[in-house]
Amino acid sequence: MSIAITPIAGAFAGEVSGIDLTGPIATADVAAIEAGMDRHAVLVFRDQRFTDDQQRAFTRNFGALEQAPGGHVAKLNERRLPLDMQDAGNLDKDQRVFARDDRRRMFNLGNRLWHSDSSYRAVPAKYSLLSGRIVVARGGHTQFADMRAAYAALDADTRAEIADLVCEHSLMYSRGSLGFEVTGDEREMFQPVRQPLVRSHPVTGRKSLFLSAHAGGIVGWPVPEARAFLRDLMEHATQRRFVYSHVWQPYDLVMWDNRCAMHRVTRFDETQPRDMRRTTVAGTL
Amino acid sequence: MTLHAVPLHPVFVAEISGIDTTRPLSPDDAAAIEAALDAYAVLVFRDQRLTDDQQLAFSRAFGDLEETRGTGISKPGEQRLHPAFADVSNIGTDNTLLARDNRRRLYSLGNMLWHSDSSFKAIPAKYSILSGRVVASSGGATEFADMRAAYDALDERTKAGIDDLVCEHSLIYSRELLGFDDLSPEERATMQPVRQRLVRTHPGSGRQSLYLASHIGTIIGWPMPEARAFIRDLTEHATQPRFVYAHTWRPFDLVMWDNRATMHRVRRYDNAQPRDMRRTTVAGTEMTAPQAEPLAA
Repeated sequence: MSIAITPIAGAFAGEVSGIDLTGPIATADVAAIEAGMDRHAVLVFRDQRFTDDQQRAFTRNFGALEQAPGGHVAKLNERRLPLDMQDAGNLDKDQRVFARDDRRRMFNLGNRLWHSDSSYRAVPAKYSLLSGRIVVARGGHTQFADMRAAYAALDADTRAEIADLVCEHSLMYSRGSLGFEVTGDEREMFQPVRQPLVRSHPVTGRKSLFLSAHAGGIVGWPVPEARAFLRDLMEHATQRRFVYSHVWQPYDLVMWDNRCAMHRVTRFDETQPRDMRRTTVAGTL
Repeated sequence: MTLHAVPLHPVFVAEISGIDTTRPLSPDDAAAIEAALDAYAVLVFRDQRLTDDQQLAFSRAFGDLEETRGTGISKPGEQRLHPAFADVSNIGTDNTLLARDNRRRLYSLGNMLWHSDSSFKAIPAKYSILSGRVVASSGGATEFADMRAAYDALDERTKAGIDDLVCEHSLIYSRELLGFDDLSPEERATMQPVRQRLVRTHPGSGRQSLYLASHIGTIIGWPMPEARAFIRDLTEHATQPRFVYAHTWRPFDLVMWDNRATMHRVRRYDNAQPRDMRRTTVAGTEMTAPQAEPLAA
């Protein structure tokens, strides 16, 4: 079999066929996948029955694994998965669905807001790879927004205005907007970092809007003015014409480039188990 | 006079001719305008060169007016206009433009969020009447969303799920969304949350609508983050382009809307240019939900 990448109808994402990701991958295939990522920003692989170790091994083809500390309010002894695997499901250590008012669940609701993974870290993430181990029957789609197309569609005045703007990103801001109360220790852990509002992709050179629900201010701007403007840009960037909505089947692996795509999960019935495991390729700059 | 209505949008909004709002309205004219609002929810009257007194007189034909004193952050003596006006301008009492970091300006940026006027009052507003005296040359459009059409377009499962929900509305919540938390204890005391049904029925048309606003901070009985995420989803649904009309202002446009059936917001504009918009507000007559028992003193 040889690898093939087909554009998904009406969307910027691509679907990859002809490859089993659970075993070793040929160098040429890794290169083909990277090239597909540079083009599509989001790639879908169907029916990849990963173990956690296989998912890690596949992920390492693209760089070092990002470690999770500082990214969640769950304490280390509460984690279901090790620190190099982010838990995007709704299960506790005993595989039971979180109670409705569980603080970890409240925190995870932040994933319903458009974001770019780890934009709150000084060195934000490169790729994220999300494996759907148990998917829900209704809702729980993952939506992606193409931030290159969103940038390209801005008018010239706006592009000039934002060219040199720098934003402050923190988990405090995204969680604060949902009324999630952050404790003193967490506040310390969630200190804001700075990110440019416009970034260029290191391979393709294409410019994109670097937005995220974690962005809570623009350096040098009054906070309310910055937030109102960021909301406007967010609304622009997440118009349907820039969005691909991924409807999960069991064992889908979806891989995206955080440097040029935002994503979010849509509402689902949280009394149903949903087991989604994410590995993250650390960024380098 | 005979009122003529020409629709400006597929689901709501009409431009009205045949009415001079600067002159006293006959009861028949007032009734015709009310009937048009029941149908269209937003009415646009062009070229209405109103004085403040004329705007007050026109507005009073539809009911008692809300007083703006005691809401928001303006103190007595800081208001540029008669207390029955909401000053939706970027101009200070000394007739100069508000500075970029002026507190009233930053507070008023909350108008860029979708809202329904006075949803933070136990008895929320009926109509708002906005007169464009000096309009922005670029930007500054007022957008309206038809909350009846938005309700109608919900799937049956969602309609059944929200039918009995009650939300808490407060100015504190909408301002918090923009990071404006510079409120004194006295201001906070005037902004205590009130309860509103999430689905309301219009007394004139009988139509149901989604009663949303950025002033919503939670849903009674729900964990706050879950409520906020859900309200965001509903707001995104309700403000899709197919439910939205963007009004580009001409000088002396008068736009009148029914807060019981619509949301609105202002779009960004150049703050270096004066924008003088004056709003009168016709008070509502009833609560949409029972209020919480007051706390014992």
